[in-house]
Amino acid sequence: MSAQAATPTHLTVSGGEPKRAGAARGVLWHVVVIALVVVLMYPVVWLVSSSFKPAGEILSNLSVLPEHATTSHYGDVFGGVAGYSIWQYFGNSLAVSLLSVIGNVLSCALAGYAFGRLRFRGRGPLFAFMLSTIMLPHHVVLIPQYIIFQQLDMVNTLWPLVLPKFFATEAFFVFLMVQFVRGLPRELDESATIDGCGPFRTFWYVILPLLRPAVITTAIFTFIWTWNDFFSQLIYLNDPSKFTLPLALQMFVDQGSDSAFGPMFAMSVLALVPIGLFFVAFQRFLVDGVSTSGLKG
Amino acid sequence: MPTIAQARPAGERAEKARPEVTKEPPPRRWKRTGAAYVFLSPWVIGASLLTIGPMLASLYLAFTDYDLFNSPKWVGLRNFERMFTQDDRFWNSVAVTLKFALISVPLKLAVALGVALLLNKERRGTGFYRSAFYAPSLLGASVSVALVWRSLFGSHGFVDHFLGFFGLHVGSMVDQPRYALLTVIALAVWQFGAPMVIFLAGLKQVPKDLYEAAALDGAGPVRRFFAVTLPMITPVVLFNLVLEVIQAFQSFTGAFVIGSGRGGPSDSTLLYTLYLYQRGFNNFEMGYASAMAWVLLLTISIITVLLFRSSRKWVFYTGEGNR
Amino acid sequence: MRGRTVRRGRLSVLAAAAFTLAGTLTACSSSPNDVGSDAKQTIRFVWWGNEDRAKATEKAVALFEKQHPNIEVQAEFSGYPSYVQKLTTQIAGGAAPDLLQLDRPTFGEYQQKHQLADLSPYLGKSLKTDRIPASLLAGGKADGGQYAMPAGLTTELIVYDKELFAKAGVTVPENGWDWKQFAADMVKVQKKTGRAGTSDFGWSVDLFETWLHQRGKALYASDSTLGFTEDDLAEYWNMLGSLREKKAITAPQITTKSDGSVQNSPLVAKESASETSYDSGVSSYVTSYQGGTLALAPLPTDSATASGMPALPPVYYGVSRRSSHKEAAALLMDFLVNDPKAGAVLGTTRGTPPNSDNKDTVCAKATGPEKQTCDFQTAMAGRLMPSDSWFWPSGSAALKSDFQRVFDEVIFGETGVAEGAAKVVQNAEQSLSQ
Repeated sequence: MSAQAATPTHLTVSGGEPKRAGAARGVLWHVVVIALVVVLMYPVVWLVSSSFKPAGEILSNLSVLPEHATTSHYGDVFGGVAGYSIWQYFGNSLAVSLLSVIGNVLSCALAGYAFGRLRFRGRGPLFAFMLSTIMLPHHVVLIPQYIIFQQLDMVNTLWPLVLPKFFATEAFFVFLMVQFVRGLPRELDESATIDGCGPFRTFWYVILPLLRPAVITTAIFTFIWTWNDFFSQLIYLNDPSKFTLPLALQMFVDQGSDSAFGPMFAMSVLALVPIGLFFVAFQRFLVDGVSTSGLKG
Repeated sequence: MPTIAQARPAGERAEKARPEVTKEPPPRRWKRTGAAYVFLSPWVIGASLLTIGPMLASLYLAFTDYDLFNSPKWVGLRNFERMFTQDDRFWNSVAVTLKFALISVPLKLAVALGVALLLNKERRGTGFYRSAFYAPSLLGASVSVALVWRSLFGSHGFVDHFLGFFGLHVGSMVDQPRYALLTVIALAVWQFGAPMVIFLAGLKQVPKDLYEAAALDGAGPVRRFFAVTLPMITPVVLFNLVLEVIQAFQSFTGAFVIGSGRGGPSDSTLLYTLYLYQRGFNNFEMGYASAMAWVLLLTISIITVLLFRSSRKWVFYTGEGNR
Repeated sequence: MRGRTVRRGRLSVLAAAAFTLAGTLTACSSSPNDVGSDAKQTIRFVWWGNEDRAKATEKAVALFEKQHPNIEVQAEFSGYPSYVQKLTTQIAGGAAPDLLQLDRPTFGEYQQKHQLADLSPYLGKSLKTDRIPASLLAGGKADGGQYAMPAGLTTELIVYDKELFAKAGVTVPENGWDWKQFAADMVKVQKKTGRAGTSDFGWSVDLFETWLHQRGKALYASDSTLGFTEDDLAEYWNMLGSLREKKAITAPQITTKSDGSVQNSPLVAKESASETSYDSGVSSYVTSYQGGTLALAPLPTDSATASGMPALPPVYYGVSRRSSHKEAAALLMDFLVNDPKAGAVLGTTRGTPPNSDNKDTVCAKATGPEKQTCDFQTAMAGRLMPSDSWFWPSGSAALKSDFQRVFDEVIFGETGVAEGAAKVVQNAEQSLSQ
């Protein structure tokens, strides 16, 4: 992180001020940000600490710190949930999430470029229709969609969860790409066109590299949202060996007793770790994606 | 070097752009259109296979009596009639949803933008902070969130103690009709990670030289924000606004998890989609639920169109404006 | 404008066609090709439940497969939240599993919507019932047929903190309380211990049903009519209202989160000294309750003959009407319910075993809260009421949630008792008539 701050591209404009004022302001900034982090992280911290509280303390002891810390809930969870190792659930979640990332990035970038830059017959109505698909609550299309996948014999496989992503059905990300494409300076791809590039090569060599922040945003969100998605995974996966983490997590709810909450919190925490790491690893690129310096032109 | 003056509103751009299109030689235009369809083909396949069919099916069901098991019976407009004239809970859910959207969306966007501005400058530890601010959103609406929220807003919870410190004794907020919706709103606002990240990405796209130019003109940080930052990120603001509004109207899981799916206490957290879900899967009235879904779809569409219309007045697209 | 409407009309017809087509296709694919042959067949068995239930059930299923090598069982389970949604989607989508675990509202709902097979042809053959108490078996009866089998036995009761009651000088009368004595004792507990005597149970339609049965009435008189009037409900809620005024039962903001789960239990949260519940939940109470000993007592009643406590299945097993392996599903059902080895493996994961022999074996080995449950059931054996008049018809899921919702409005003072009772009756009549 410090290496990042040292790179010249990231120097901020406030360079003209006297050093001392700058340092004081830096300290103030840290104080403000840390205070905010503490407030916002409190519930997360509570969740993590509860996973170390012994059964019985979880519902009765509402303070942040456990009275008698224990790691036994983690032992329980690693001992397997509902007859399967938690690595199996992890693996399933990972497969669904990664495939979804690939699908969404590819298909949404293509559609986003078409809607955002190319002119073609029917663009307006199609774009409006695309947006309208975000607006229909998914509970009512659930059953017709289920019938389709049932006819395709894909129920109880990962396909109903992954395949739609390859067809840009998540309008949110298409919209995201469109907004980014429209923010890119037009002269870039125009000069590419003048250089003799067709739309395909323009897309590949000019647009896609510039879309990097949007691509990374799409990747991060897709990963996290798919990882946390519950309803579609619930509907389409039947066989417990194909269960993902959110489904396995549900097994603790029905228990209804205090003894189930410890392992449930432990598993929630464990489920957080991969997306946490994923986010920490890639959020840097979100910002580093200042290949948008193409904007400076 | 582009300046603010050069960034023109989208409406003006559209008028200028149109004659240029017609000027293009026909073969090239055809080629472009063809290319566009190639780029669009995955989306077209997905939409026609997985989206249009189910959407039409639900539209048809909206005019039927459908209990999910036996074939739907055509009832014309009866579902809509019942909804608008006989269903108090429907209107209550509309009121709850509007209240939810009107409070949570501006609050969430303001927090997201505020934090994004704080984190925009590269300092030691920004990576860590960024992740920390995103952490609440990582949790999603998993089942444990319900317990976490109860520990926060329940009786003897953190907020109860905190307010008690100031002599306010509200008791359990999640369990009182007066406050329960606020806790659902708090959950929505707390998970501001997604718009924050999008704001951050947008802020990064603001050309640095604009700030330099503004600084040379003697603009302070506040003026720089309103004269440079805000106009330059308006496309991102629009994007976040539209999506958050849509999301707020469709908000489901937060209230579902916190209120154990009931929308209680006493229907105070009965968001529209929650009610729709209850009708569809609890009461087995999928026809009615579909009718509700289409009312929602039309409402959101109108709001979205209005937002886009208004955006011509306040959104600036640099890319297009630079031509 | 005109053109557009016409187009939309045509589209909806198209959609209708597509939808019915999907329906017919799925209907065709599940054409019956019933057993008899030794050909290997696969049946799907779905249930919800926690880990313990999952492990025990999978073990029992493995035993069954060993005994019936020509039947392969695909076990599918999930947590309870959204179980009904998932199952409903599967059935509506034409992918109904063969053997289903159901709760009471869902059993009635599916039975009335003709999604369950009548088990009568299998009774006494592949499906034995001679060791299942008639009062319990009655719970799966409807329309003159047997549409489900009890997966276990449970009844309602009061769980109370022994020490707190002793401190207040309250003892459970030998034959249980009558309502007046109960009310007086709850006031006493609150005065002496500062904790509400019992958790307000006005939200629970199950308890109201019990109260009705004690007065010779029922929740439903038939599949489409209610067995009570708004006056009954008003009287019931008023009785609780006077207890609430005296703080003998929990306050509204404590009560409102109640849903019968231990997680949201006022007793476990130490807001009350006792709580009404089903005895299948006793283990969860005992493991979750801190700093006190829990004991069990029968529900209060004013009737010498009607305890109001039903012999209910905590969950039911049913066979999908669309199943093409009904015989095999019935065999598995019989195994889960009657087989001694299965009984031993399953234990009390779905209430005490429905088969009396299995129950005796399991209860003889039981310890702790399980033993408490067994002992309670033995003590109550003569008083449990047959559960056939406890059948919940289609529309009862709506009534159940509406009941609790209106009760919330009542306790928070948004609606008067009489007005609320009228609303419940009116809404219930509407949902029953659909």
